[in-house]
Amino acid sequence: MKKPAKAKSTDGLWPLRFTLNGKKVSAKVRPTQTLLDFLRIEMGLTGTKGACLEGECGSCYVLVDGKPMNSCLMLAPQVQDRKVMTIEGFAHNQKLDVIQQKFVECGAVQCGYCTPGLIVAAKALLTENPHPTREEFLVGIEGNICRCTGYNQILRACELAADEMGLKKKK
Amino acid sequence: MFYQPKDIQEALGLKAQLKERGTFIAGGTDIVVLMNHGKAAPENFIDLTHVPELRAIHRYNGTLELAGNVTHAQCGKLPIRCLALASLSVGGPGIRELGTIAGNLATASPAGDGSTALLALDAEVELTSVRGARRLPLDKFFLGYRKTALAPDEMITKIFLPTNYQSDWAKNGKRGAMNISVVAVAVAITPMKQVRIALASVAATPIRCYGTEKYLEQNGLSAGTIQQAAELVRGEIRPITDHRASADYKVHVSGVMVRRLLENLVKE
Repeated sequence: MKKPAKAKSTDGLWPLRFTLNGKKVSAKVRPTQTLLDFLRIEMGLTGTKGACLEGECGSCYVLVDGKPMNSCLMLAPQVQDRKVMTIEGFAHNQKLDVIQQKFVECGAVQCGYCTPGLIVAAKALLTENPHPTREEFLVGIEGNICRCTGYNQILRACELAADEMGLKKKK
Repeated sequence: MFYQPKDIQEALGLKAQLKERGTFIAGGTDIVVLMNHGKAAPENFIDLTHVPELRAIHRYNGTLELAGNVTHAQCGKLPIRCLALASLSVGGPGIRELGTIAGNLATASPAGDGSTALLALDAEVELTSVRGARRLPLDKFFLGYRKTALAPDEMITKIFLPTNYQSDWAKNGKRGAMNISVVAVAVAITPMKQVRIALASVAATPIRCYGTEKYLEQNGLSAGTIQQAAELVRGEIRPITDHRASADYKVHVSGVMVRRLLENLVKE
């Protein structure tokens, strides 16, 4: 049997290396810090929100290797060598991502607290399934709670984003 | 201290050293909730998310072998109806990407969806430590309310289930998404036409209704015996009244759910 591994450092901090919104990041983290707190407090990326802290509301969604995950339930060292994308990684050269643009156009944003999580959820869904049915959209965002809109504008924005992304591909 | 082993042997070595003082973490969907609410503060974590062999799915000779870290999202894509539907009924997409099947078993919640589906499928678990591996039928794994047969140095490495059972799943909850069950039912029929019935949220652990299964084995599946089976199930379960529903309601709805699932399976 192999000798059990030692922790990598003696100061109790974890030497984290991962890719954040396309850039390589190295940082020393407290290993019990959630990914959510690490992103907001240490990285200053406050687009990702925390609300329920128990996986019920989806406001903390980020993409990890392209999959939606609740960052409030992950410990920061768990994204070692992974690719993390937060809402801050969506816009390019001052231009919003299609999904963001459709959320604006459809009035799918009211207080805005759930918006980053919903956009991350929609992105994950549309990446895996470019032409979801209404039912599939509902499943794709079932982990995200919005208390303002009643979801109709959000669904509309998701559907229009899917249409536009489909058109872009055809061109 | 935080450890991130790269393979199972390394993880087991750590667990053998730390025993109860070392907490396995994979999806974190149970333990981090407790930490966020100040109800747990594990001393040492052994993170299993960077052990690639724990994500494997193998299929051979009518058996499906799931490694411990296979996620609810992965289970949702398997051609095993009750397990796929149960897995897709867990949380939302984010939780299904994080949460693992071994985590579902190890937490041993009475409401465990995956656990209940696996129970109906006569699944077996492989528990491994530096001392070796042992295989246990799932109904010998749940010992009581959130208690399992796992020794302090053991890990759930694999889950074995048959691929040739017909099965189905139903979940009764308070809403259409992000649901923890009021009652959930998994039914399965073996190639020898034996019926398996497992329920969640009606006892201290997910349970099988062996009395009802035996009755159906002796009397066959017909409209009349299915009706009687629903009654027998109501007698075999011991739900409690809680914030989700009253015990009386759970008893009643369990019978209805079992009857409907069996009726559908017979039709097929």
